[in-house]
Amino acid sequence: MEADELLMLVAGGDQKAFEELYGLVAGPVFGLVRRVVRDPAQSEEVSQEVLLELWRSAARFDPRRGSALSWVLTLAHRRAVDRVRSARAAGEREQREARRAHHPAFDQVTEEVEAGLEREWVRRCLERLTELQRQSVTLAYYDGYTYREVAQRLSLPLGTVKTRMRDGLTRLRECLGGAA
Amino acid sequence: MSLFRREDLHSLAAPYALDALEPAERARFERHLKDCDSCAAEVRALSEDAVRLAWSAAAPPPMAMRDRVLAAVRTIPQEPAVRPEPARARPEPVRARKSQLPPHVWGAQPPPRQRQRRPLFVPFATATAAAALVVASLFAVQANRTQDELDAQKAQASEIAHVLQAADAAATRGQDAQGRTIGVIASASEGRAVVTLSGYSAPPSGRVRQLWLMRPNEQPRSLGLFAADTPLVATGLDKSATSLAVTVEPDGGSPQPTTQPVVQLALKSVGFGE
Repeated sequence: MEADELLMLVAGGDQKAFEELYGLVAGPVFGLVRRVVRDPAQSEEVSQEVLLELWRSAARFDPRRGSALSWVLTLAHRRAVDRVRSARAAGEREQREARRAHHPAFDQVTEEVEAGLEREWVRRCLERLTELQRQSVTLAYYDGYTYREVAQRLSLPLGTVKTRMRDGLTRLRECLGGAA
Repeated sequence: MSLFRREDLHSLAAPYALDALEPAERARFERHLKDCDSCAAEVRALSEDAVRLAWSAAAPPPMAMRDRVLAAVRTIPQEPAVRPEPARARPEPVRARKSQLPPHVWGAQPPPRQRQRRPLFVPFATATAAAALVVASLFAVQANRTQDELDAQKAQASEIAHVLQAADAAATRGQDAQGRTIGVIASASEGRAVVTLSGYSAPPSGRVRQLWLMRPNEQPRSLGLFAADTPLVATGLDKSATSLAVTVEPDGGSPQPTTQPVVQLALKSVGFGE
């Protein structure tokens, strides 16, 4: 059964359907959250929150607005970004990153294991963006920086960053061959 | 009075889709979205692009998380459904749901065009997108190839194009517990398929990965051997085929599988199994 149908059943309180839905979305949700949040324990916590929110709020899903998977991943990204920003505000992140610099093995190993179809393809498409487009998109999406922070990090005017983000996403769409 | 001119607000669509606005800006932009149909459409499209980035980050979740989440749902109550009818219902009022997710997701905006239904785990909207992937993987390693290999590659690319031209060309993919994937673009009417493996390390020395066609009440039929990371083009697939399977076999392949499949993929969603 597809995620959209499962989510409709979940909205009616079907726990079996939720179990099946979990099988479909847990990997993408956890992977995305970990990509943004980095810290494994915190990533698990945020993923859990997202998955439980999915259970609680399933009735809000409207299939006419888009697919269930987009819905879930948009929710997961929003929660991950919220978490990483509050952690960053508290200065924890810098410390964690400093610690991580001494343990590069973690990311390398997971990179290898997870090299799936999409990862490969998205990576290729990201490589085809200009350097500034790519950095603007990935600093925001994968690292959770606001566009103001991105502008600061790249020493670019705000308007330029907004344009690079838009062009980057549009070019990514063309490269991925997506029909949005 | 708005702090932004209208065109300034428009330019926030991409940062918004990437969740790259500060809370106050986000709120202001969401208010603007309600009155701007063209922005809403743009945000939806850009958000779909962003979700592609999400997909590529998928990773196997911790096993313990599953137990915890499934245990929790047995005790956590759900928000009541706002809609009176169970399935096809009117959208609930915008204000009732705006608190948690952006409007393009929750539905403060007009509905998108009818979406194509997709097989499970296929983030690509069309077979063409999946094919672009296959073709790109061919181009990626071109620099190291000899002329013969390039010729073979060209033949393969045209074979792929051939599969795609079929009116019933469809794509699907499967993923194993380690996140490794098998992708298929197939045409049931042509009896052809292009099969890609991704995320697999090279087979042990003296071994090769072999592709099998599984049919009800019949022995598996070999569809060929995978050479390194190049896609395999399979022809002569009968409509009764139910799935594809990959096994690791001694060099040169085996007449029948001698090991358990490393991955298996049902073909029902791409028009087989009749």
